[in-house]
Amino acid sequence: MTVVDPRAAMHLSETAVSVELQTGDMILNIGPQHPSTHGVLRLVARVDGERVHDVDPVIGYMHRGYEKLAEVRTYAQITALVNRIDWVSGFSNEIAFVAAVEKLMGIEVPERASYIRLILTELTRISSHLVFMSSYPLELGASTPLMHALREREHVLDLIESVTGGRFHPNFNRIGGVKPALGQGASTKKMSQDLPAGFFQATRDAMGRVLDVCDDLDDLVTGNELFQARTAGVGVIPREKALEYGMSGPNLRASGVDFDLRRDGEMVLPYDRFDFEVPLGKNGDCYDRYVVRLEEIRQAAAIVAQAVEGIPSGPLQSKVPRIIKVPAGQAYVRTENPKGEMGYYVISEGGRIPYRVKIRSASFGNLSILPWILEGTLVPDLVAIMGSLDFVLGDVDR
Amino acid sequence: MTESPSETTGNPVVAYAADVAELVGASSFAAEFDTVRIYVDRGDWVDSLRKARDEGGLEFFSWLSAIDWSRAVEVGDPVEDPDELVERFEVVCRLSSVENWHGAQFIAVVPKDDPVIDSIVELFAGAEWHEREAAEMFGLDFAGHPNLKNLYLPDRFEGNPLRKSFALLAREVKPWPGTVDVEAMPGGLGGGESDESAVDDGGEGE
Repeated sequence: MTVVDPRAAMHLSETAVSVELQTGDMILNIGPQHPSTHGVLRLVARVDGERVHDVDPVIGYMHRGYEKLAEVRTYAQITALVNRIDWVSGFSNEIAFVAAVEKLMGIEVPERASYIRLILTELTRISSHLVFMSSYPLELGASTPLMHALREREHVLDLIESVTGGRFHPNFNRIGGVKPALGQGASTKKMSQDLPAGFFQATRDAMGRVLDVCDDLDDLVTGNELFQARTAGVGVIPREKALEYGMSGPNLRASGVDFDLRRDGEMVLPYDRFDFEVPLGKNGDCYDRYVVRLEEIRQAAAIVAQAVEGIPSGPLQSKVPRIIKVPAGQAYVRTENPKGEMGYYVISEGGRIPYRVKIRSASFGNLSILPWILEGTLVPDLVAIMGSLDFVLGDVDR
Repeated sequence: MTESPSETTGNPVVAYAADVAELVGASSFAAEFDTVRIYVDRGDWVDSLRKARDEGGLEFFSWLSAIDWSRAVEVGDPVEDPDELVERFEVVCRLSSVENWHGAQFIAVVPKDDPVIDSIVELFAGAEWHEREAAEMFGLDFAGHPNLKNLYLPDRFEGNPLRKSFALLAREVKPWPGTVDVEAMPGGLGGGESDESAVDDGGEGE
């Protein structure tokens, strides 16, 4: 008979830890339908507890084959396709495409039309960034900023609607200019083809409110300790990686690359006439990506305010043939979309429909870094990092 | 303010294209419509792009795709001069600078009977998705690619949709609806009777 001395026996807690915990990799399937995926993105993550080993993004659920569809449509019809690529910034998707066609045809766009394009592009940028400002804090658990940001976005969308008649998919650009606007309340026949009455004052008011909501967001989000703890130092993307993966736009500038096509690229729209700054980040983390976008809203509001003051009068459309035939040639035109570099490589063989259109969309490059950036992160950070990239799946899948 | 190609005289784009062509040892180049095209041999593909990145300052990998130059087209318009055309694929890679407007499309010709080209994933990790897309859409093979599976298309999808020989099924089963509801335009344009007229007239009569 053995006598067990209780004092010599192993303590229960020690027994528990002495048993080797069998931790193995678990496959965690996120999406395709998940609030943080901004559309239909599926992530197959191999996780060990809270640690993400690797991630395999599965995309293509939104693939609509625009490059093939563009090969069977006339140039004028393609603008309706392209503004559905990134549906949060429909208007600005059209700019580079019509600019490429105008370049091939040698068409000069009237100044007033350029200004209207520029104003609407910047309004779209504000609206797109406000979506980010609402959804990103929400993904991190703060629901109040959503209300503030979306309220002001509604005013901006109203402005876009008052000119184009559409909130998301304006299809407003024409080759050689812009479509005559709705023209509500205009007195003369000439004016009835132009911007709606009261547009300038409404724009000034809206820009004031947008700047106010930026201050609100500063109070609510930027200085918030919880927000900073979730984002600062998380998801750091160094300059070299950002360039190698083709990240562009605010994501690239958050990594400290001082490059903005509005300032440094070819002047598709007359940005060289306005004063604005290109905000930059230092660390390339989620926090910087947020701050850069917030500052970009302020700069875009400043550009719109200047453009509204300086808009020249004149025609909205230059003379173009009734049936648009584009001379043979290849042109690549890129513009600074809210999410980054949007480019169209248009190849014409002289007909009414293009031979090939390659669409370079910003979110595709921005998202392709996911497997690299998510490797070794924590599961809660996964949502923080993905949200900070501000992608739209329509822009990824095209 | 960096200079913009269309604003300066003396065409700096052509001069720039010549510089890049010389740097990477291109077989030919073109600079039209402010777009620089640098043609390199398929065998020099990776080396040329490495030179462009390391010595030419084109650090930003923008995109990679392909073009199917084909005489027979299933949908869309054929090329302007089919008799002159050399049937081929062109693999296009766009690199650009983040200091100024510099940038170029690097193009390698890939023959149809041997659609293989070296992968540039070792140079630009971001090319992985772009090459997967080009592979499934055109039926190209990127030698050395670590994971050349379908990107967009379902696993068992048959065919390569962006090849000119690939029919657009929607057009096969149903005429282009763009013509159906459009009223006849003055001068007999629009108001389509057939699939063809939609393509010819610009649908809504733009």
